[in-house]
Amino acid sequence: MAKSYDAIIVGGGHNGLVCAAYLAKAGRSVLVLERRHVLGGAAVTEEIYPGFKYSVCSYVVSLLRPEIIRDLQLPRFGLEIIPLKCSFSPLPDGDALCRWDDPELTRREVARFSPRDAERLPEFSKSLLKMSQFVKPLLSLTPPDPCSKNPNDLLELLKVGRRARDLGPEALTRLVKLMTMSSADFLDEWFESDVLKAPMSVSGIIGTFLGVRSPGTAYVMLHHYMGEIDGAFRSWGFARGGTGQISNAIADSARHFGAEIRLEAPVSEVKVHRGKSTGVVLEGGEEIDAKVVISALDPHRTFFKLVGPQHLDPDFTAKMKRYRMRGSSGKVNLALDGVPEFVSRPGVGPHLEGDIAIAPSVNYLERAYDEAKYGNFSSKPYMNIVIPSLVDPSVAPPGKHVMSIFVQYAPYHLKEGASAWPEKREAFGNAVIDTLAEYVPKIRDQILHQQVLSPWDIEQEMGLTEGNIFHGELGLEQLFFLRPVPDWAKYRTPIRNFWMCASGTHPGGGIMGAPGANAAGELLKTGAI
Amino acid sequence: MSAEIIVIGAGHNGLTAAGLLAKAGKRVLVLEQAEVAGGVGAGAEFHPGYRGTGLLHDTTAVRKAVIEELSLHSHGLSLRGSEPPVFSPALEGKGVLVSSGREELPDDHGLSDWDVEYTAAFREFLGRVGAALSPVLNAPPPDVFATGVGDLLSMLKTGLSLRKLGRTDLLEFLRMGPMCIADVLNEWFESPILKAQMAAPAVRGSFTGPWSPGTALFLLLQTASKEHAGVQGGPAGLTAALLSAAKANGAEVRTGSRVQQILVSRGRATGVSLTTGETFGAETILSTCDPKQTILKFISKLDIPLAFRNDIRNVRMRGTTAKMWLALNGPLEFSSRPGRTFERIRIGEELDDLERSFDGAKYGALPQVPHLDIWVPSVSDPTLAPSGHHVASLLVHFVPYHLEGGWNDGARTKLEENVLSTLGRYVPDLKKKIVAKETLTPVDLEARYGLTEGHVDQGEPALDQLLFMRPCQSCSHYATPVERLYLGGSGSHPGGGMTCAPGRFAARAILGKK
Repeated sequence: MAKSYDAIIVGGGHNGLVCAAYLAKAGRSVLVLERRHVLGGAAVTEEIYPGFKYSVCSYVVSLLRPEIIRDLQLPRFGLEIIPLKCSFSPLPDGDALCRWDDPELTRREVARFSPRDAERLPEFSKSLLKMSQFVKPLLSLTPPDPCSKNPNDLLELLKVGRRARDLGPEALTRLVKLMTMSSADFLDEWFESDVLKAPMSVSGIIGTFLGVRSPGTAYVMLHHYMGEIDGAFRSWGFARGGTGQISNAIADSARHFGAEIRLEAPVSEVKVHRGKSTGVVLEGGEEIDAKVVISALDPHRTFFKLVGPQHLDPDFTAKMKRYRMRGSSGKVNLALDGVPEFVSRPGVGPHLEGDIAIAPSVNYLERAYDEAKYGNFSSKPYMNIVIPSLVDPSVAPPGKHVMSIFVQYAPYHLKEGASAWPEKREAFGNAVIDTLAEYVPKIRDQILHQQVLSPWDIEQEMGLTEGNIFHGELGLEQLFFLRPVPDWAKYRTPIRNFWMCASGTHPGGGIMGAPGANAAGELLKTGAI
Repeated sequence: MSAEIIVIGAGHNGLTAAGLLAKAGKRVLVLEQAEVAGGVGAGAEFHPGYRGTGLLHDTTAVRKAVIEELSLHSHGLSLRGSEPPVFSPALEGKGVLVSSGREELPDDHGLSDWDVEYTAAFREFLGRVGAALSPVLNAPPPDVFATGVGDLLSMLKTGLSLRKLGRTDLLEFLRMGPMCIADVLNEWFESPILKAQMAAPAVRGSFTGPWSPGTALFLLLQTASKEHAGVQGGPAGLTAALLSAAKANGAEVRTGSRVQQILVSRGRATGVSLTTGETFGAETILSTCDPKQTILKFISKLDIPLAFRNDIRNVRMRGTTAKMWLALNGPLEFSSRPGRTFERIRIGEELDDLERSFDGAKYGALPQVPHLDIWVPSVSDPTLAPSGHHVASLLVHFVPYHLEGGWNDGARTKLEENVLSTLGRYVPDLKKKIVAKETLTPVDLEARYGLTEGHVDQGEPALDQLLFMRPCQSCSHYATPVERLYLGGSGSHPGGGMTCAPGRFAARAILGKK
């Protein structure tokens, strides 16, 4: 008889590992089962081409909760974040906008395009800071149920309501606007320069199947602005050694606290007996028992692959089917022979030591979305580019570089169907390089190796359903007490002893760790293990 | 000359407020820029012998409270017994014919069994949610910053009325509200043309397409705001009764009186001056013009706090509606259902058709295949046209106010061509039937009705322009930061359409009633 655990976590993505670490730290016996040969899920570093370490999917970090970094002692286990210096947006006319980590430098840059906008920036940041101070405590809250008769739920809701009211009329109005407006409209209220608004608005669309003019995207913008490193507001960074190092640090922390982690251990099903989970079966047939099983996979994979509708009530299945997780983005990773030269700012410089946004105008971004709505990838996509090897030489051979390009929109559901992606992959990659070549004319000569990931590839390789990087879209109807589905927003599932702990639960996607930590907290609080 | 209360604008909201204030014993003067009263609801001959019924179509949301309080029945208003079904023709097949209110589906609906079953279930759901939401629409917006016991109680009551929906419906409502109408309809229905027809009200007047999040809420709100089967004679029938009631209660209505300025002294509104130079003093001023026109045009910059001006400037009212009147020498005959006459028609066979016309509007382009909402009022009221003839009212959606290159006669003609060729695909002999036509672009609507950017709802219906944020937080309760100046048009809660509710709430606010 094999060993039995307090908890088995299916999936060694960052949320699964965070959950494991917290449970192990609380003295529970925990086993993490990862299908692949590397840990991290979508937060992973891989040497696809010799000497070049790609942050294959997720490429920058900022949302990782500070209390998690502290509780799990991540710096001790090798986590080091290198802050981005600049947000660089080259323009087709040969000019460019740089937003620096130094507000004064940024102000001067923005003033070249609009003195009025430059003056308004500090107030805008202050306002968003206030909003995020309101939202942040909600991130670590298990969502209260608005229909519950339980006084605790009502009390929690009342508390949220009172905090909202305490913001005062002006800030509350802004909060409602932020929760409901499109990022383009929201920015229109503040700024006039398209050159500034376009790269600012993209935070609102990353990972969603929405355009910058779609209502609700301003919230996603806040979601991305909430990031903090060392308490500094709105700072993004690279993990030294690649994004996979974040996962490795969390994994080492989990091991330190006593968790076991097995690689290449694909789970084929969750054992369910009379509506109760008792353990898992691996693909080889091995069975492992545990008091609770926790899924760190996305909700669709969790319920339709691991569990199966035969164990679910049809009503729940129907609800889960409606949970939307349309993937909208792809990724191109390049190994480069040297530093790419941008027409608008030639040469190497601090402007490349951050992220580079191909987002020349609001209409450009909206048109990219229009194409995707009808099932085509954008011929002129929005791209977010980083060259981490410029600040972290460990990820590429000397003199060489890695370039990570996040591309939107690449709809999972092509009009020819998702299965057409293998034939379309090359054309998609070409559209990306063609667009890039408008800003970096010599890029083609520098490419040593090119990895193109469509959302279909991300689904196949990383196991994210429909390639959705957030385990489900961040629409208002899929947030808070509605995430992933109404009635099941508290990390529990209709199957007893079977839980969820990943981005498909509150508060959602990004390398945040909050779902994993919240689920662990809830498990321990209820005494389930 | 002076009055106790001046109401600016003799549209449906202005006349409602004037009637109610006069009935309460106030001396009321209504100033209307046009030569006739009625605003967007004024009926007028657009071609000799052919009468229009006003800009908008739907009068099912006219508040019963207004009809009763002003005894509109004794001023000639009568309500229809039932709503005519809406016909969506198809290029292939018979199209669909769907009742929109509580009526049974017509026998020749053209829907699949699935859609018939789910139409019934969806309506029941909308009905339940509508019943829970209607208290919200029948009261001024909740005052979230109120400290008074009464305010808190009324907010609690709203919350409880929603909770009464029960767990399943409430969660479904909360989930559905922020969704895009396309996703909602795809969850429920299978027929593309039915979905396109049902999506239309959700995107009407807003700068959104069926794939824009939040549009589902507007379908729910429109359902909730329905009170009956509509007013006989449409908007023109309504405003005629309102005008008669206002006058009977003693209000004076002066047409052809265009306001130039609202006079403000030491933060308090004291009167208005007209473009003719004439001035009127008043204790209280209620403007039923849109918020931007009222605050940014009528009032001197110096008289308004900067923050308030900014809030009003930020109200989004990008017009996307154009209007076309057709005088016809016979009924519109659709090739998909020959020999039949329909009163209400929507053109658009797929959700993506609507979305594509919205796409163009975003960049200031004319829609090639515009989405059309058509009402042929002469079907139920033959007096509008010579015997055997008809008038057709077309609301053309996704026509941008901010047209690339600007609006001119050429652009208007191009719009006309696009509309007629779109309709002509379904009505083969359309061209032969047209006796006369009148086209109003968003810019024409602005000029004719004084609606900023030609926005028919005086502000886009959007999640952040509702309730205590309509038109903006500091004047969401009809009073503005300018003392004794009130707003009471469609720009205020509960918003646009022919409801008369903003006018009624504004009058009550002036009278100090809740």
